[in-house]
Amino acid sequence: MGWYAVYRREMLVLWKQIGRMGYVFSSIIFPFIYLFSFGLGLGDRVNVDGGYLPFLAKGIMGVTVMLNAFQQTAGSVSVGRLYFHDFRSVVLSPIAAWEVVLGLVLAGVMRGIIFGSLVFAIAWGAFDVGGLNSLAVAGLLLGSCCFAALGVAVGMLVNNPTDVSMINNFFITPMTFFGGSFFPLQNLPHWIAVIAQLSPIGTLNTLLRSNVWDSGAMWAAGTLIVLTVCFFSWSAWLYSRYSE
Amino acid sequence: MRNMLEKHQDSVYAVQLTELTKVYDGRKIVDNLSLIIPAGEIFGLLGPNGAGKTTVMKMIAGLTQPSKGSVQIFGINRDDQPTAIKKLVGLVPQDNNLERDLTVEEVLLIYGRLFGVDQVKHRVAEVLEEFNLEQSRYKQVGVLSGGLARRALIARALLPDPKLLLLDEPTVGLDPDVRQDLWTIVRHLTDQGKSIVLTTHYMEEAEQLCQQVAMLRAGRLALLDTPAGIKQQVGKTGQALGALESMFIKLVREGDA
Repeated sequence: MGWYAVYRREMLVLWKQIGRMGYVFSSIIFPFIYLFSFGLGLGDRVNVDGGYLPFLAKGIMGVTVMLNAFQQTAGSVSVGRLYFHDFRSVVLSPIAAWEVVLGLVLAGVMRGIIFGSLVFAIAWGAFDVGGLNSLAVAGLLLGSCCFAALGVAVGMLVNNPTDVSMINNFFITPMTFFGGSFFPLQNLPHWIAVIAQLSPIGTLNTLLRSNVWDSGAMWAAGTLIVLTVCFFSWSAWLYSRYSE
Repeated sequence: MRNMLEKHQDSVYAVQLTELTKVYDGRKIVDNLSLIIPAGEIFGLLGPNGAGKTTVMKMIAGLTQPSKGSVQIFGINRDDQPTAIKKLVGLVPQDNNLERDLTVEEVLLIYGRLFGVDQVKHRVAEVLEEFNLEQSRYKQVGVLSGGLARRALIARALLPDPKLLLLDEPTVGLDPDVRQDLWTIVRHLTDQGKSIVLTTHYMEEAEQLCQQVAMLRAGRLALLDTPAGIKQQVGKTGQALGALESMFIKLVREGDA
């Protein structure tokens, strides 16, 4: 049960941080602004099956999941490794690499679910966006797993905590804007739409917005599972080679 | 695995370093270091800044992987049992790396759980009492004084009851009375059968505490002896400064020459 000790450590630190108002606010301010600016500004001008506001609310929930599961996990690991050195308490412990990564990923999943759900709850309260079906819940879980596992790998890989922002600039921000979170992918040039569809956020959005478990939803779920396994294995390999 | 871990009970050596080498960016920080550290003693690792003391400690603890050579702890090769061997070692680092948002008690509980300590709450209560930290148990570690933080770091390292304790500059920056207090704790630990390796810049500290000292220079072993043996080597020149300090200065100047 070493993974559970790692998970509890991360969650205890997270609850302390959530206790500070600024932490929650900074975690949801970006999606919150986009939800209200796009929702109020474009709400009745964009034609999407099922309405633009439900489309936007699920897309922004996906972005929130990605930002929190990835960034907070990568930040926690990299800052703990390189700045505060408190990650050493995990490294010194007799817990196997895969268990350490599992504990960190599950904590990242909780970060994604907590803040993703919070943003969707705000959207649900402010606009007529409907509820979440089983596919959206599966998307929330699988997307959080995928981005948290990527966050552990990046957190283990960088040589400076500020390098995480470089990953954000080159991968996360393009996925945020081209991954179909704010507008349908068919409006993009074909080759960009294909890349966006294959990206983790693209597959997450497909799952969040699907209504039935058809081939598209199954493909999206399978892609997220495969990506999670790849990122998880990469993280465990990096951790097993840990050296200061 | 159990047999391997039980083997440490009979080993007379706490640590055996064989041709240990660490290279960073093409520069040898630790260079072919071979050293045997006896069990049940306080062993001092001395040397000027950049001599490689902290890197050696990190390699013993398992935080840094050697570029070459091996580390054996109580007769067990670290490469053979990298995870299980961690139960035998406690590290008190130079800097305060306690989780700054948590209280002292929370930090200890987390560490105990990471090490799978049985009846962890009971064990934490024991350690808090042993290190006079009961009054500070609900204090956030970020606001602890230097002396209290150092106590908490030692308490954390000892929570899983390791056989070997690594103390990296344990009294640096502390008031003389707090330093004396920590010396008493360290001596008490050897009475409990712990083996201790400490690095220090304070020659007086090494003279007071250590049964053996090794001096490193540029990552290599420059001297290995008892404080009494060094006193004999230094002879009259040692009377003014203290034997270890005289030898330390001599070695640093030889290195600079």
